[in-house]
Amino acid sequence: MSTLAAEEQLTRLWETPKTIYGWFASVDHKDLGIRYLTTAFIFLIIGGVEALIMRLQLTHANGALLTPEAYNELFSMHGITMIFWYASPILSGFSVYLVPLMTGARDVAYPRLNSFTYWSFLFSGILLYIGPFTGQAPHAGWFSYMPYTNIVYSPGHGMDFYALSLIMLGISTTGAAINFIATILFFRAPGMAISKMPLFLYSTLTISCTILFAMPALTLACVFLELERRWGMHFFGSASGGSPLLWQQLFWFFGHPWVYVIFLPATGMISIIIPVFSRRPIVGYPYVAMSTVLTGVVGFSVWLHHMFTVGMSDLTMSFFSAGSMMISLFTTITIFAWLATVWKGRPVVTTSMLYALGSVALLVIGGLSGVVAGIIPVDWQLHNTYYVVAHIHYVLIGANVFPVFAGLYFWLPKMTGRMMDERIGKWSFWVMFVGFNVGFFPMHIVGLMGMPRRIYTYAANLGLQPMNEVMTFGAFLFGVGMLISIVNLFYSLRHGELAGNNPWNADGLEWAMSSPPPDYEVVRIPAVATRHPLWDTFDEDEDPGDLRVLSQARLCITSNMLDAVPQAAATMPNLSLVPMFLALALFVFFLALVYQWMWVCLAALILTFLLGCTWLWPRPIKGHL
Amino acid sequence: MSSLATPPVAPETPHTGVWPIEANRGVYGVTMVILTEATLFVCLFGSYYFLGADKYRWAVDHPPKLAKAFIMLGILFASSLVVMWGERLVEQGRYRLARGAVFTTILMGLVFLAVQAFEYKEHWKTLTPLTDSYGSIFYTITTFHAAHVIMGLLMLGYLSILPDYGPTQLPPHRPYHVVALYWHFVDVIWFFVVLLLYVIPHFQFYGF
Repeated sequence: MSTLAAEEQLTRLWETPKTIYGWFASVDHKDLGIRYLTTAFIFLIIGGVEALIMRLQLTHANGALLTPEAYNELFSMHGITMIFWYASPILSGFSVYLVPLMTGARDVAYPRLNSFTYWSFLFSGILLYIGPFTGQAPHAGWFSYMPYTNIVYSPGHGMDFYALSLIMLGISTTGAAINFIATILFFRAPGMAISKMPLFLYSTLTISCTILFAMPALTLACVFLELERRWGMHFFGSASGGSPLLWQQLFWFFGHPWVYVIFLPATGMISIIIPVFSRRPIVGYPYVAMSTVLTGVVGFSVWLHHMFTVGMSDLTMSFFSAGSMMISLFTTITIFAWLATVWKGRPVVTTSMLYALGSVALLVIGGLSGVVAGIIPVDWQLHNTYYVVAHIHYVLIGANVFPVFAGLYFWLPKMTGRMMDERIGKWSFWVMFVGFNVGFFPMHIVGLMGMPRRIYTYAANLGLQPMNEVMTFGAFLFGVGMLISIVNLFYSLRHGELAGNNPWNADGLEWAMSSPPPDYEVVRIPAVATRHPLWDTFDEDEDPGDLRVLSQARLCITSNMLDAVPQAAATMPNLSLVPMFLALALFVFFLALVYQWMWVCLAALILTFLLGCTWLWPRPIKGHL
Repeated sequence: MSSLATPPVAPETPHTGVWPIEANRGVYGVTMVILTEATLFVCLFGSYYFLGADKYRWAVDHPPKLAKAFIMLGILFASSLVVMWGERLVEQGRYRLARGAVFTTILMGLVFLAVQAFEYKEHWKTLTPLTDSYGSIFYTITTFHAAHVIMGLLMLGYLSILPDYGPTQLPPHRPYHVVALYWHFVDVIWFFVVLLLYVIPHFQFYGF
């Protein structure tokens, strides 16, 4: 068959119609990935605005812009939005878009599940924000310690919105994790053995496994919270034999692995970007890959370091302190691998590279302040001060926001087909970098001076005001820097240069196709012989019978887990509205649970089951098998 | 390199002409669901022991009676065997009998829930979820398990009306195996519930 005929046939099979139906029913990972990124970015902006309002309140001693209650609600919504609805979903967005391109598959393993996880992520975010808009916002911080969150101290629906929207987000996150694991393990292009995967796939695989084993703890904690608040059961109240520490144990058993969930994929992106712009393969590929996996594993044995002040035996504390120190070892290996790559390579300073290097710098500062805070006596001193706020922001912005921007500048040309403007991009980077450091470095100092976190104001005679003024200025500068990049995006969408297939001369499979990729992505599923398929010349495996074209129906090749020897052709489902309606039914279920409309809950559950049956009912796919 | 492009095709499997049709995604999916759900129960049992750690007695007052729990365990184990038998029937192509096995399993699952209702009714006289933390965690764990039984029953219900169990070109592939795996999981969890919540409290030594 000629290539042209194959292209036509594949387009007919894989294209998503540009109609309203097509928009809602799309199961294309490229559409869904971009939607994930956009939605998560909007949550970033919402959370950022909340942070700026807080900074305004804290600029002056005895500030009166916000009431104490409003301040509590703002810092809670800021933390919840950023950690749950921005930091992880934006990385899922990259993974949804990039994993199939990097593995050489035409879509993820479960395309309809992919659509469902996007819609349920969106609806859970809407569920969370119904709270503040009905005057019932959660107000207990992003980790909502008991007993403050029980019905006596937190009346109203605020904490219910928190608990139930998190359970719904947990369903979405777990679904996405299952999808990534199946895709990465079984949908890799023939020949892409596990030792030849791009490092981004290693980090996505690791965090997906982490999610499988960490998410249930949060779900359970939220279920306990609801049972205690709404049905008067006893889990956390010590008067009836419960323990408020149960919440902390469950929350942090989830919470610390979650830190790696929002950190590791970002390191994976840096491990792709730095070698490309250093013009050489990464130094120590196996060590970086193993560090990534081990971070995920050891990440499960450090959660008590969030709780050193609750009182526990010295042995326990030593164990968890040692575990925390061990993690920094793996991160150090990764960071030295990046530095060595830059050192041994011929670095090209693009905007994307700047963001990647900036993130390494911030990550080192944040990591070291973490080592300091991980020493138990120091932790006791710094507990609940701004030092901890500085640490978490250096780590999360250094290891999530900056890599995300690096990733956006790197992969947006692939997604949109147009280059981002480099000059505006570099301006954006420097303004963000300077703004961030001006805004957050002084937090270490005011923390050491004893300024507590989560208090809506401070007294004038403490001498904290000058530093706070500087921090507010820095925070706004950081916001301006981000705004410059948003302007850059809209400018470049119109006026940017055409990207072509491989504007960065990068090594991954995703750069072999046009930008944006065609609906079917590849005419022939590629065969891979090295870690850098576009850099190394090798004899592409002959495919005279067009075995790897698969143009008779919607099909992908599956291969085995370790060696990626091709096994079979997987049928891929057609467009479907069912995933969206399923997410909607779950949304109704959780919303009704907030307001205790039990009959609506039951109806929503029955609807969920019926939709599930519809989803799984045998139906033909496009094309002829 | 030629091994990369030549897929192994067994003659009797569904295929596209060149490639065999992939039929394991359901199994991968349900395996991962089972792993994450098992973690949920590990967390539940962990909470049970965490709440009991600082108590003089745990279970508070009297340990739960064993008879009904063992009957329920027997029912579930037997139903797992029925499903395994059904899977073998599917392999042999005896689909009508396999469908019978599904209905039998559903019936046994319903009996399980009925016995649990009686068990609850009896238990309720001395212990409710509102009594204390022990009551709360006891009923939460057993109800979570019951919810998983209901989930399994719904999956079996779907399986009972599914037209085709054999190897097919179109998904769902291997539906019988997928549902059976989940049902075994529900069964194994009940074994741990009986062991940890019912049996072990009878053997605890409370000192003098």
